[in-house]
Amino acid sequence: MISEEYRGAQQWSRNKQAAFTVVWISFLCAAVGTMVFFALFDPVDLTGIFDEDLEIDRDVGYAVGFFFFWIFSLACSAITAFLVRTAPKRDAAHRADQE
Amino acid sequence: MSNPKPAGLYESATKIYPREITGRFASLSNLATVSLLGLFYAVPWLLWDGRQAFLFDLPARKFYLLGLTLWPQDFPYLALLLIIAALSLFFFTALAGRLWCGFACPQTVWTKAFIWMEQFTEGTRSQRMKLDKAPWSWDKLRRKASKQILWVTFSLWTGFTFIGYFSPIRELGFDLLSFSVGGWTAFWGLFYSFATYGNAGYMREQVCKYMCPYARFQSAMFDKDTLIISYDADRGDPRGRRKRSVDKKAAGLGDCIDCTLCVQVCPTGIDIRDGLQYECIACAACIDACDSVMDKMNYPRGLVRYTTEHALKHDKTHVVRPRMLVYASLLLVLVGFLVTSMSLRTPIILDVIRDRNALYRELPGDIIENSYTIKLINQSNDSRVFKLSVKGVEGISLNGVDETVLVEGGDVLSLPVRARAHRDDAYGIMKIEFVAAAADDSGDVKVEDSRFLGPTP
Repeated sequence: MISEEYRGAQQWSRNKQAAFTVVWISFLCAAVGTMVFFALFDPVDLTGIFDEDLEIDRDVGYAVGFFFFWIFSLACSAITAFLVRTAPKRDAAHRADQE
Repeated sequence: MSNPKPAGLYESATKIYPREITGRFASLSNLATVSLLGLFYAVPWLLWDGRQAFLFDLPARKFYLLGLTLWPQDFPYLALLLIIAALSLFFFTALAGRLWCGFACPQTVWTKAFIWMEQFTEGTRSQRMKLDKAPWSWDKLRRKASKQILWVTFSLWTGFTFIGYFSPIRELGFDLLSFSVGGWTAFWGLFYSFATYGNAGYMREQVCKYMCPYARFQSAMFDKDTLIISYDADRGDPRGRRKRSVDKKAAGLGDCIDCTLCVQVCPTGIDIRDGLQYECIACAACIDACDSVMDKMNYPRGLVRYTTEHALKHDKTHVVRPRMLVYASLLLVLVGFLVTSMSLRTPIILDVIRDRNALYRELPGDIIENSYTIKLINQSNDSRVFKLSVKGVEGISLNGVDETVLVEGGDVLSLPVRARAHRDDAYGIMKIEFVAAAADDSGDVKVEDSRFLGPTP
């Protein structure tokens, strides 16, 4: 006696699941990566590597680092999700052979 | 190849309207929500010695925790702490199931707060459902708008508080009032506000179902002795509606009157009577709902209850089992290690960099000299005097540095020094040790290895 509007209706589409999972998990990875990286390196020390005269604040360095990590892991997650989702399925005949 | 069902990216999920509930576990959950949120919003305002008690000062690269100041070099402590947190999660999951999900997870806690605001402005479950179906009216607009005002204000305050952990919250408040908040600070504050608004206001249980890694792998920590919330099918089935006066045995019915209250109160929209499901966040709302019905029917409570798979099958439940012992001993070892290493920590960092431009210099009087740069960091909050020395080679001494050096609290002192030894004692590559000893009663000493080069014999 559960109303139809309630039962089993609240489901995300596969694409939406994939999109949000990719964004969220890469966000978590980027957060951990940023934390470890900037515990070891001070952004103020790092800028000298790219440009001697470049002077930036730490908060800008942290932000740039975080978004670098996020975009990097986003690309990684997205490509993995894409390849897994679009892989050719084993056809029924092949499955029947194996069984 | 055919796709089963083309689905749009922005296909919206059917909304769940959790029914309001009172009872033992609801009170417990309310208490958890109020105290956890209270802690989150209050902690940045606490002071310790005139300074913010908990401040992760990222711009200055220093973490203040009460009287303790942690530096980036102390990162291993944080890593250890995170490992301990993860292990505790495993421990409590194996013991008592998804306690974390149901009572302590920020997603649950903030969602609850947002649902409270929703109830306050839009009313009970049935009123909310009716309101959403109804055409736009002045009343609907007023209710929806006031909900949004509450949600947005609460989210913004949440973002502000979050930033307050990383930037002194009182100054941040003044900056905010004078509209002079820095660009990145404002960005991260709004970012966190928006995440709160979206996650707690709209995504809710979808986060647990689709985005949370813990929800997917927590079942690996489960066994037949883990505390779960379950419907007692032996007792409840066959289900059926009946009057209170009906003798259930004569009617051939179990204790479940199929009122579906347990489904209506579920924040993830599942039916607990279908068995253990990974969507269940173990919030125990269904227990309260069912107990209230059992009371009304004069049946014993606990048709839906905290139990274990073993107990459901009338077997014995084992609290102490190998899995628990492994988690517990690992936890004990790690906590012990953290506590000991923190208590043995000397708040001094000594770095010695040998000058690489020259191997060594020969001075008149058969003296061999090496140059170094010493970095001495005083991690404590008070200024301290240190005595620098060097040992490892017969007659070696420091030159170009005072007997004692003063380093202000939280300061880094960079010091060029020269070590000298007689030619007869210094040949080849020799290991030496630099020593920084605090010139007070603490007995704090830090030793750093380096090398002393001399002519090849």
